[in-house]
Amino acid sequence: MTAELGAFALVLAFALSLAQAALGLMGAHRPALAGAGVGAALGAFGGVALAFGALVIAFVTSDFSVANVAANSHTAKPLLYRVAGAWGSHEGSMLLWCLALTGYGAAVAALGKGLPFTLRSRVVGVQGALGVLFLAYTVFASNPLARLVNAPVEGRSLNPLLQDPALAFHPPFLYAGYVGFSVVFSFAVAGLIGGRVDAAWARWVRPWTLAAWSMLTVGITLGAFWAYYELGWGGWWFWDPVENASFMPWLIGAALLHSAVVTEKRGALSGWTLFLALAAFTFSMMGAFLVRSGVLTSVHAFAVDPTRGVLLLSILGVASGAAFLLFAWRAPSLQRGGLFGLVSRESLIVLNNIILTAATATVLLGTLFPLIREAIDGDSVSVGPPYFNLTFVPLMAVAMLLLPFGPLTAWKRGDARAASERLKLAAATAVVFGVAAYAVASPRSVMAAAGLALGFWLIFGALAEVAERTRAFRGPMAETLRRLTGLPRGAWGMTLAHLGLGVFTLGAVFETTWKVEAAEALSIGGRIDIGAYSLSLDSVRTAEGPNFLAERGTVTVTRNDRVVCTAEPERRFYPAGRQTTSEVALCNRGLDQIYIVLGERRVGASGGPAWLVRGYFNPWVQLIFLGPLLMAIGGLVSLSDRRLRLAAGRKAA
Amino acid sequence: MFAFWIAAAALSAAAGWLMLNASRAAGLRAAQGDPTLAVHRRQLAEIDDLAARGLLPESEVRAARAEAGRRLLAAADAPVEAVSAASGRRRVLAFAIAAPLLALVIYGVVGSPGLKNRPYAARLAEWRSSDIETLDLPRLAAILRAVTVERPNDPEAFHKLATIELAAGDPLAAGTALRRAVALAPDRSELWALLGETFVVQAEGRVDVDARRAFEEALKRDPANTSARYFLARAAIQDGKVAEGVAGWRALLASLPAGRPDEIATRDALANEIAAVESSGGLPSVGGPQAQANIPDAAAIRGMVEGLAARLQSQPDDPAGWVRLVRAWSVLGETDKRDAALDAARARYKDNPEVLKALDQAAEAPR
Repeated sequence: MTAELGAFALVLAFALSLAQAALGLMGAHRPALAGAGVGAALGAFGGVALAFGALVIAFVTSDFSVANVAANSHTAKPLLYRVAGAWGSHEGSMLLWCLALTGYGAAVAALGKGLPFTLRSRVVGVQGALGVLFLAYTVFASNPLARLVNAPVEGRSLNPLLQDPALAFHPPFLYAGYVGFSVVFSFAVAGLIGGRVDAAWARWVRPWTLAAWSMLTVGITLGAFWAYYELGWGGWWFWDPVENASFMPWLIGAALLHSAVVTEKRGALSGWTLFLALAAFTFSMMGAFLVRSGVLTSVHAFAVDPTRGVLLLSILGVASGAAFLLFAWRAPSLQRGGLFGLVSRESLIVLNNIILTAATATVLLGTLFPLIREAIDGDSVSVGPPYFNLTFVPLMAVAMLLLPFGPLTAWKRGDARAASERLKLAAATAVVFGVAAYAVASPRSVMAAAGLALGFWLIFGALAEVAERTRAFRGPMAETLRRLTGLPRGAWGMTLAHLGLGVFTLGAVFETTWKVEAAEALSIGGRIDIGAYSLSLDSVRTAEGPNFLAERGTVTVTRNDRVVCTAEPERRFYPAGRQTTSEVALCNRGLDQIYIVLGERRVGASGGPAWLVRGYFNPWVQLIFLGPLLMAIGGLVSLSDRRLRLAAGRKAA
Repeated sequence: MFAFWIAAAALSAAAGWLMLNASRAAGLRAAQGDPTLAVHRRQLAEIDDLAARGLLPESEVRAARAEAGRRLLAAADAPVEAVSAASGRRRVLAFAIAAPLLALVIYGVVGSPGLKNRPYAARLAEWRSSDIETLDLPRLAAILRAVTVERPNDPEAFHKLATIELAAGDPLAAGTALRRAVALAPDRSELWALLGETFVVQAEGRVDVDARRAFEEALKRDPANTSARYFLARAAIQDGKVAEGVAGWRALLASLPAGRPDEIATRDALANEIAAVESSGGLPSVGGPQAQANIPDAAAIRGMVEGLAARLQSQPDDPAGWVRLVRAWSVLGETDKRDAALDAARARYKDNPEVLKALDQAAEAPR
């Protein structure tokens, strides 16, 4: 019964979203209607949650009468992946998207008691309208609870590449981020309707932006980590369309976070903040379209289906088109905020916004160019890392160069010389580290040395800002400590996020420049050298997993004849889907990792079996994942700031 | 069925109640003032707080205060959107009734009311209690798989499972079951030989390293094992040691019984095969062991390739499959189909040089 009850609950959620949209928008001046809209929002979330629960039950019990389960599950699949299978397919992930969308709607409805009555009512209404679009698509075009009258004996199983812990948790975070921007979008539309977008509005929007951005950061990092160790190519970012699809809302979200601060503190840039708020969710929807339409080939795109693609594109067109039309109509009449000088924190944030937006545009162009080209002359081209290295990387380098000046420059009218003075030490230290890297690391690389210096510049710049605020080294210790504990969480959040960016930069530069790679077909007992390390293939045996067969190699990693670690890379075969995956073995060495892939078995030189063993020495690679984690923690620390909590939550005392 | 409709009605009622209840609560709360002013006031207080803690430079405090004050005044002066006192209860009630009704209508179209859950465990129990004659191979295999879970130390359970899986056309599952079987009963030569045969099926007729090892294990335990002797000799012919292999087959032929009709058929098939190898100097073609006597004809091969192509249409993420398909069309001389498959596969794996290389090699396979 649960499967059908879930299907009914999903349809009910759709009907309630319709009611929510109508009541919320009509109720801006009618408390009774607005209240009912809030109730509908809670109900819609409840309905989708029930549907989601029903789908999870169907996956856990291997109910192959549910078409989605039959297509994406298997009785031999371990429990975790049976649960994760609920969102591993196109239909299931749309349901997860709707769960997040209605969840955020319910959260605004329930937590927004401190918002002005009309604003809250409209936000709930717009969120409801988004719910209508996406639930209609889910119910009518990709219903995850559609049933089969003749259930097959066995399911077709989930793509084994997706059977991985990092990927089981990647979509929930990613969607919490993607869809979190829907609230910001709704706030923007509601603000445009009401015509009042001021400092208070910006403060109400900020916690939602922070939450969405932090979740998206975690989601993208998990995805990159998965790509790193599951695909077995040794890389962590491929500028793949699907990766770009998640990266564009992140960039816009980062710009929005900064611009909303200006609106909040100075009442300025409200038009720009609104624009970014609309753009962030537009890019999220575009991501959903790119991944599901099959217009782009990608390692992790869902199944190709042009019809669904057209529907998703229509949703994108309707939602964003209407919002931007409203923006074009209403934005000119918005109130102007405070003025600011050429040298000021506002100016630097504007610069940051311009760069981040330009960077998003380059990523967008690189992602869509193959499509445009194919439409024009039918050629299929792919845009790869060289394009992004030439466009995106220099833009970000400029942004990073300017970044530490921002927090040290005063609002309204700053003093460039004073800020430079305060950053002297940070700059000098960064240069020294850069030069040292150039001198010591081999092969020598000016670009990499400059990149490292940039990373250190961000880190020391962030620390210099904390030192400045707390008058460290310039006054008594007790005073510094007092100030340190008195710093608002928002300030800590910013520092952590900027530190995280520096840490990431260090890792990215170091890993891409100085990674060492080797591959060779090894017989048992054979060895290859990777930098200072030596890998020897001791044995390969057949192992049996719950739903796969594997050849498991034992590889001993030595350095100067001392055993460093024993790794067990696997090559797995999943009979249910007839697919082969490699299970990479990782050896952690401080910040570095040794990355070992066991390849296909072949006939060796001596006639006996041999295996292609690929090894990478990835120096400082852990920083690549640690950096974004710091950023996300920064976002969450900021979110926990008392000031935002009061603004977002209950009415102030 | 009844339970479902009762639950659906309860859900609808709950949704209606949520709307009515929240509507009532909102009416009570709407009278409270505009919280925008409170936010601006708090901003002012925060500036004072930061200044008191020495976190805001003196120079900025005054300007910031003045500006926040101005914003407060502006907000206080801004026209507040009027809130109507009209209740709108009737409209809310209409929505609370209409939404579940609409849901009911849509569900009637897209749902399958009355269709029960079919959890796997329950279906398995159903199959187990039904007449075995009525079950097809996949269902039999499912039952036997459950038996192996219940009796993980019974080699015979795995043996039976393997036989059914092999018959159902799943040599991989059969191999998995047989590996467990030989681990449990390593002395049973016929299990080893069957394992070897599943490897041969998996390798599409070739006697590969795994198969040889399994047949050798079988012979170690029973030097007279027919299947092991047949395939090891076949392996020798496959390696080009035709004389040695044919000698093996002749010895085997001499030892085969010839009483029952099926035994005679087996003998005849082997004799034919020996004659074919001797006349052509090697194995005529790659075929499954079921096809020892009758090599699949061109139509059957084409059917297999079409099947592979169809599978790749629905489950395209299979680089090895694409390579096989390209090679197959190439071998069959179907250049158009080969090129179509090659293009599709190239587009799909354009970022994967290893696959591209394999595809190119497959496309150049001898005609």
